Amino acid sequence: MNTLITVLLVLILAPISGCIFAGLDRKLTARLQSRVGPPILQPFYDFLKLINKENIVVNKSQNLYIFIYFIFAVTSLVLLVLGSDLLMIIFVYTIANVALIVGGMVTGSPYSKIGSQRETMAMLAYEPVLILYIIGMYMLTGSFNISSLDGAYMPLIAYLPIVFIAMLFIMSVKFKKSPFDFSTSHHAHQELVKGIFTEYSGPALALVELTHWYEYTFLLGLMFLFYKQNIVIGILIALFTFIFVIVIDNITARLTWKWLVKVTWTIVIGLSIINILVIYFLKLTIV
Amino acid sequence: MNLYILLLIVVPIVFSVLFMLNNNQKYYKTLSILLCVIAAALSILLTLNGTTSITLSGSMFKLIEGLVLVCEILITIFLFWVSIKHKRWSVLALAVVQTGIAVYSELIVKKPDTLSFNVDKLTLVMLLIINIIGTLIVVFSNGYISEYEHHKQLKNKQKLYYGIICLFLAAMNGLVLSDSLSLVYFFWEITTISSFVLISYNRDEEAYNSGFRALFLNLIGGICFSLGNVLFENNGISTFSELIKHKPGTSAILLAVVLLCIAGFAKSAQFPFQSWLLGAMVAPTPVSALLHSSTMVKAGVYLIVKLSPAYAGTYVGTMVAVFGAFSFLICSIIAMTQQNAKRILAYSTIANLGLIITSAGMGTAIAVSSAIILIIFHAISKALLFLCAGQIEHTIGSRDVEDMGGLIYKAPLLAAITAFGIVSMILPPFGVLVTKWLSIEAAAQNPFVAIFLVLGSAFTTVFWIKWLCTILAYYKDDKECHSTMDLTVSVPLVLLSVMVLATSIFISPIFNSFVSPEVATLLNTKNDLSITHGNVLSNIGSFNDMIIFIIFIVAFIIYFAYKKFKPSKAKIKNVYMCGENNVEDKFSFRAANGVYEKANISNFYLTRVIKEDRVTIVGYIISIAIIISAVIGGII
Repeated sequence: MNTLITVLLVLILAPISGCIFAGLDRKLTARLQSRVGPPILQPFYDFLKLINKENIVVNKSQNLYIFIYFIFAVTSLVLLVLGSDLLMIIFVYTIANVALIVGGMVTGSPYSKIGSQRETMAMLAYEPVLILYIIGMYMLTGSFNISSLDGAYMPLIAYLPIVFIAMLFIMSVKFKKSPFDFSTSHHAHQELVKGIFTEYSGPALALVELTHWYEYTFLLGLMFLFYKQNIVIGILIALFTFIFVIVIDNITARLTWKWLVKVTWTIVIGLSIINILVIYFLKLTIV
Repeated sequence: MNLYILLLIVVPIVFSVLFMLNNNQKYYKTLSILLCVIAAALSILLTLNGTTSITLSGSMFKLIEGLVLVCEILITIFLFWVSIKHKRWSVLALAVVQTGIAVYSELIVKKPDTLSFNVDKLTLVMLLIINIIGTLIVVFSNGYISEYEHHKQLKNKQKLYYGIICLFLAAMNGLVLSDSLSLVYFFWEITTISSFVLISYNRDEEAYNSGFRALFLNLIGGICFSLGNVLFENNGISTFSELIKHKPGTSAILLAVVLLCIAGFAKSAQFPFQSWLLGAMVAPTPVSALLHSSTMVKAGVYLIVKLSPAYAGTYVGTMVAVFGAFSFLICSIIAMTQQNAKRILAYSTIANLGLIITSAGMGTAIAVSSAIILIIFHAISKALLFLCAGQIEHTIGSRDVEDMGGLIYKAPLLAAITAFGIVSMILPPFGVLVTKWLSIEAAAQNPFVAIFLVLGSAFTTVFWIKWLCTILAYYKDDKECHSTMDLTVSVPLVLLSVMVLATSIFISPIFNSFVSPEVATLLNTKNDLSITHGNVLSNIGSFNDMIIFIIFIVAFIIYFAYKKFKPSKAKIKNVYMCGENNVEDKFSFRAANGVYEKANISNFYLTRVIKEDRVTIVGYIISIAIIISAVIGGII
């Protein structure tokens, strides 16, 4: 019963918080550009407008993939809140990402194809960092279950500082924000053709926006785990991540996927591995 | 019940002879369907009978011993003949060495006067794979091989083709049924020879080169195997069962174990032996599917899993784990640079075998369970994908992934099955991913192994996605294609897909009735892993497979119900081409001078950064270093 209530709460609250995040994003960005910006609930108004529009597609099956993307983004968030196995959650989250990539590809539009392929390369960059983070967590707690963090006397961030920085870096990629908004971008500030989502419009695009809200909450939830023991500090870390990503978004110009892959596969992953090896050799634990 | 064991070896040999008797398409078709039914039934009956073992002694032993000796002499003569005929002196040299060892062990080493067969749970798993998947592939050959010969303008040699394949099936059955190491070695050599004959099936320069490379590398493995056998016999060990009772300790045994592991590496085409499997892709696709992905290469990992009690928890075990993980990483990296579908499949096979070896090497109950589960799931998914690749080649006349664009519109069923096969390799809730999850969790206690696996796993996802996207992508070209499928082609494909789905859904009964008891006998410890109702639970984590299945089903139901009952149908428009669309063809745009051009985007292969030959050299150096350190570890 408790589980059911939690699931329902997640299903209702996550899009609300995600929507507010998206609104804050636009407001903050506007302020950084000395504009007034739209109201905080603007993403929600956009959503309402989109969902009432006509359903136009270029391919009969394209919406199926977006629907799977939505379902499994939600599933991974629910599993995260329920405290299950973190590695399993990442693999479930992979379903969502693969569905998104395929969804862009099947439309046949050259713009979405390029977006999809760049997203594949982004995946190559961020996936190892996510899993290394989880392996670090296992080495510290002796379990892959998120619930094992409850009994820890130290936060993860204490022994995984470099992995934390690597995750901050990865968050820019996952939020699809500049400098890594090469597969698709949220604001039209860098391109006119919208990468993966070029051929999505109306209700399908509304679903994409809704999924983004769930995804925002999920990604910030991953950052929250760095200090799960104290809810306040945990939320502060998540908020810091969010503001960090938005600020970086506004002060940088787009980089290429080549740059991303090069830097993650040398510096970011290299440093994360060093962090993990230090934990291994010093036999550090937090439980 | 003794009978089933005998029949499983004899029936394929009988079929081999029957195939040789006549040369007629209908005859082949009937025979192969008959073989499929009989062999599958036999393996299922034996499975229902459960585990058992028999020891032959007295006159029966003398008879079998004599038969084996005669066959071994015939194999040796064949090796000498074929290597002299084609002037392959390196193969000849290995054959001489091998004969020397055989004569030495025959004359000097004291051998037990019994031979034994043992049917344990792992044997049953392998038997089911060989006799169900293997024979389905034989059925698939019917629709494939004639067209193949016609296309390549070869002489009709189907007699030989079916004969050798049946002989190979008999040898595989014998290999997994035998408990005596000398028998295992005998069947091992037969699989090597059949593989050689089938790889050089085309009888041209390329085919012979690949065939002899395979023979050469597998003979090295064979020599390691026979040396290991001699060492074992000197220590009074002649069967797998005696090996399990023996506690790991004395260095002579550990060295013998390392030697057998090297034989396993060679058979499973791990670095530095990987080149033979890549060369083997010149063979007809059913051969690749049968020998080089789902059954023969599994003999190598079967041996390594069987040996796991002998090295579990030792330095050698760790080295085996590191070796496998390294192979997994490097092959996944190279697979990403490949455009040729069969080479992608080959590299991915080596990578997955590496993953099995890693899991076996770690030697914990969870890890060894993961190795056995992966053997099952990989065999089915990979057999399916190889057959799909072969059929795609027939359909569009190319095995280049870039040419497969829009396959879903040209051959919908084939493309859907291929896509399903790919998805079953990379996404939950399918078995291969569950085992990837298991092995990463099991590996996490040794960060070196875990890091290799994590880095490799990122690449695997990428190269599969590229292929998946390409076949599903909406892109039509005007190239001709033959999208009709013979029943002998489509039925095995559909059956294999159903098996992929069914095994993933019924992962709990498979685990509880096969994997868990086998791990208990091998390692003699309590298994921390349990699977009930699709929920994989260990002391370090859990994976609820069933929930993902349910969510998938619910998602599909909601989507299709919505699609059916919503008030307005989706309106189909042209894709965005900057306003330069062509009215007749929606994927063309108007380029300079008003010429219409196709908008075509190809995939990333990163070939400028990752060069196959350079990565291969790195692979050789590091893998040989790991093997040498394992051998040194075995001696000390």
